Amino acid sequence: MLEELLQKLQAITADAKTALSAASTPADVEAVKNRTLGRNGAITALSPMMGKLPAEDKRAAGMAFNEAKQGIQAALNEANARINAKKAEDAPAVDVTLPGRMWPFGRKHPISQTIDACCAIFRRMGFIAVTGPELETVWYNFDALNAPANHPSRDPQDTFYLPDGRLLRTQTSPVQIRTMLGSKPPVRIVSPGRCYRRDTPDATHGVHFHQLEGLYIDKDVSLSDLRSTILKFAKEFFGADVQIRMRPHFFPFTEPSVECDFSCVMCGGKGCRVCKNSGWIEIMGAGMVNPAVLRNVGYDPEEVQGFAFGFGLERLTMLKHRINDLRIFSDNDLRFLKQF
Amino acid sequence: MKLSLYRLKQYIDISLSPEELANALTMAGLEVEEIETVGKIPDGVIVAKILSRRKHENSDHLSICEVFTGSETLQIVCGAPNCDTGNIVPLATIGTVFPDGEGGTFTIKKGKIRGVESFGMMCSAKELGLSEDHKGLMLLPGTFEIGKPLQEYVPTDTVYTLEITPNRPDWLSYWGVARDIAALVGGEVKFPAPENVPTNLAGDWSNLVTVEAPDLCPLYTARVIRNVKVAESPAWLKASLAAIGIRPINNIVDITNFVMMELGEPLHVFDMRFLKGERLVIRRAKENESITALDGKQYSLTENDLVIADTEKPVAIAGVMGGEYSGVVSDTTDVVLESAWFDPASVRATSRRLGLSSEASYRFERGADRAMIVPASMRAAQFIRELASGDVVSPLVTVAEPEPPVRVIDLKYDRVRSLLGMDVGNRRIDDILHSLGFATVRQSESGASFSVPTWRELDVMGPADLAEEVARIHGLDKLPDVPIKATQSDISGDAILPITHLREQLADVGLYEIVSNSMMSEASAIRGGIFEPADLIRPNNPISLDLAVMRPSLLPCLLDAVRYNIARRNFDLGFFEIGHVFCANQAKFPEERDEVGIAITGCAHPERYSKERGQQLDFFDLKGIIESVLSKRRLASFSFVPATDPQFNPLCCAELIIDGKKAGVLGQATDELTKGMRLNTPLFIALIQLDALFSASVKSEYYVPVSQFPSVSRDIAFIAPAKLRNQNVVDFIRKLHLPHLESVSIFDVFEGKAIGEGKKSLAYSLVFRSPDRTLTDDEVNVLYEKVRKNLAEGLGVELR
Repeated sequence: MLEELLQKLQAITADAKTALSAASTPADVEAVKNRTLGRNGAITALSPMMGKLPAEDKRAAGMAFNEAKQGIQAALNEANARINAKKAEDAPAVDVTLPGRMWPFGRKHPISQTIDACCAIFRRMGFIAVTGPELETVWYNFDALNAPANHPSRDPQDTFYLPDGRLLRTQTSPVQIRTMLGSKPPVRIVSPGRCYRRDTPDATHGVHFHQLEGLYIDKDVSLSDLRSTILKFAKEFFGADVQIRMRPHFFPFTEPSVECDFSCVMCGGKGCRVCKNSGWIEIMGAGMVNPAVLRNVGYDPEEVQGFAFGFGLERLTMLKHRINDLRIFSDNDLRFLKQF
Repeated sequence: MKLSLYRLKQYIDISLSPEELANALTMAGLEVEEIETVGKIPDGVIVAKILSRRKHENSDHLSICEVFTGSETLQIVCGAPNCDTGNIVPLATIGTVFPDGEGGTFTIKKGKIRGVESFGMMCSAKELGLSEDHKGLMLLPGTFEIGKPLQEYVPTDTVYTLEITPNRPDWLSYWGVARDIAALVGGEVKFPAPENVPTNLAGDWSNLVTVEAPDLCPLYTARVIRNVKVAESPAWLKASLAAIGIRPINNIVDITNFVMMELGEPLHVFDMRFLKGERLVIRRAKENESITALDGKQYSLTENDLVIADTEKPVAIAGVMGGEYSGVVSDTTDVVLESAWFDPASVRATSRRLGLSSEASYRFERGADRAMIVPASMRAAQFIRELASGDVVSPLVTVAEPEPPVRVIDLKYDRVRSLLGMDVGNRRIDDILHSLGFATVRQSESGASFSVPTWRELDVMGPADLAEEVARIHGLDKLPDVPIKATQSDISGDAILPITHLREQLADVGLYEIVSNSMMSEASAIRGGIFEPADLIRPNNPISLDLAVMRPSLLPCLLDAVRYNIARRNFDLGFFEIGHVFCANQAKFPEERDEVGIAITGCAHPERYSKERGQQLDFFDLKGIIESVLSKRRLASFSFVPATDPQFNPLCCAELIIDGKKAGVLGQATDELTKGMRLNTPLFIALIQLDALFSASVKSEYYVPVSQFPSVSRDIAFIAPAKLRNQNVVDFIRKLHLPHLESVSIFDVFEGKAIGEGKKSLAYSLVFRSPDRTLTDDEVNVLYEKVRKNLAEGLGVELR
């Protein structure tokens, strides 16, 4: 009787394994499970035979039952795993090449980016950025800055005047005057902002433009400090390869006055159309603040001295991004604005 | 200004190459903008002689010439009127290569002209690049040897175009530049001292010159020269003027121009026939007096203008331009030569007012060198004798105020070193200043007093100016690299940083920054209906009507940017601008303030696909942008309340309230504003005052403890009148002051037929939480019931 039981168990097990190896759906597997291990399954149906066995055979029969059940269960698991794997293989994956759901990010205007970049560089050198009004008095815009009374820049041909005699500032230098009047040395500021000149709009002129001026007044600030400051700025803004040179020049606001050229950022100083083959591009006017200006703000030129510089932000931005017409800055074309 | 290097070398020995000299001048502050090589005669151009001339049978204007080259006789077809037998002319032989003026070249070839063979080209001065003269062939002197290359007789010259700063009128002459070159690189200078002018001339000339305005003309000299022969100038004189762009006129005028370029002093010559009373009166013009100047135009004068007059009328605008009817003409014989010093401010004012400038006014308004007035007059007299056979009959008639004292500047050597941050020795400082004409008046151990030369007296005022001279000549390239200094400044509060942050916040929510003109037309400025023409700030002198007023608001700028982009089919737009706006009406806002403008229109997610792609931006996107930025900025108190504003659709308009005060306005732009823009989607705009943003109170920086206990939430839904606003509900629930109520948030709004006309369904989620224990369902239910009961009774809603 034991012999018969063992044979039946083996047959059921073998049959189940064969069926499972052919199974291709979870339902096929489930059917095999039901007809073997299920409540009405073949293995279950053999259980009553156990009771009829002599005591000495029961142990062997029990082991055979367990072995059969485990064998079938293992085959079931294997079939399920195989079927699941196949299913996973066939399933359509997420099309990761579809566009992502972007978080919208805009951009600062390139002029603003230049203002921010310049201010950041000068801040690292100890300058503080300050601002002032665009409607100014003649005194702040010209007189205090030592511009001669008959200086051509004061002419209504070049400067916008208001009916009350004030003007639209032609430079951000009035901010320097306001700052010096409001604080004692040392003063170390940059003042970026919008200025106005009566230029007929073209590729390099507009009625408004942006300028950044710097001022550093203390007991012992020298022309060498100016040069080192500008050199550091040039290298941080345009890259470590940039060189600068200073040429004597004339501005009423400064004495000595210099013009500062950067080695051409287009050709690296070899000479090209932009630098008119000189290898240098004129970037800024600068110099040691004229003693007359210091006296105008109540500073004693015997006690303090310092430098000032100023440059056009449009020009710097145009050089950085190789833009050849500044009118595009205020067209505000989205296709332009997206590039920065 | 242009200078010929060839001429310059007459006044100083120069060993540098033209490029080296240009660089040295540029680095000393006399910027050489352009270096031109002129007079480079091409190889193959020789001196030739015309042996015969006959008419070309097939042409009215061509001639056939036999031309001798020194070794052979060639047949040349020529179109010039002056290809006469016997003339010595430049001949470009076969194979000569000319520049074509456009960067390329052309080569002279054997050719047939109207059927007659021609073996070369005879040249005009223009064709050889020597002058603008193309009236006929260039005629060469008989001293030129036939057959020699023309190069041997016409030296190549270099012409510099200089940018001269307004403080250096002394550089507006060969002599002035030569003087600085000597200081810069050495080299012996040769002053063009006047010669052959008779002195001790007798006669009473005291009536010749009367100066009635010595304040504007402290030094006037005049000299009478008779029997001059007005003629064409000799070639050297014409060439020296033509090289630097001055058109030769006649020998007298050319001489004055030459001496002006040589010594920097503008001169003027009057024809004595046209001087009533043979007198010169230097006086202020009378009101309503006028003069026709050399340019042929009539100018009305005022009492502020200085004129040279005869006994009746002005004959010249002093220092600016001579009169048309008193100048030198072809039959002039007796002249008065003027050399004078006019007040710079007066000359500039007159020149500006009349819109009339000249080489003379350019120099006088910057300041001529007083010390050069007599030498210049002498030099010109010398040339008028030599080149126009004039008889100098008068002495130099001079009317002068006492000379102003020479300026003396006390200089401490340490001050120079301190300003420059450069180690320059005392001796070096002395040497540099001496080489530039400054003289030591007194010497001490730590410094010296220097006198300022006359040609620098309007420019050099104090020690800083002397330091500049030292820096210029010593070389700015010698400035050392120094470490960046540290400063302890009292100034606090960077004004740009907050704006930078705001820009970044606005960009980070998807907006692109625009930068617009501050000037616009009046019509643009008053769009929106907030501002009236009288509110606008207007410059007196706008550049055009389109740029006539200052923007009172960013609204027109945003509208312009949207219109510009829509016209270019950029439909999905999110812009912001931060900038100054201006108003003349204090009641609206005080003159100048900073505004933030935002404009959005189009699709929210144009880069997405399927249903999300078509999702259009609406009011809540604009509001959300503002809320995001204000939250990012941690504002303590802000809200949006319904509002009416002429710029916005009355059904879709809100005010932004910060700290209880109006900070801005937002909504859907009216159809009136978007008319003609071809917008496919509504445009939403916000205008916010920057001050309100920057001065807003922000949340405490102290942390709020985070509860470790679970929250319990309850939903509540009801039918409400359509006009009931979300904020009313939220405020109502908040005002019940329920314990443990953490948040109230709306999660559904529905309007439709199922709800009924004039009604809507609202659903809120209430979250309760205690900081120190877990709330029980029972206690939350009590609170929840309280809300339901109050809502039903207090707001009259129909609970669902």
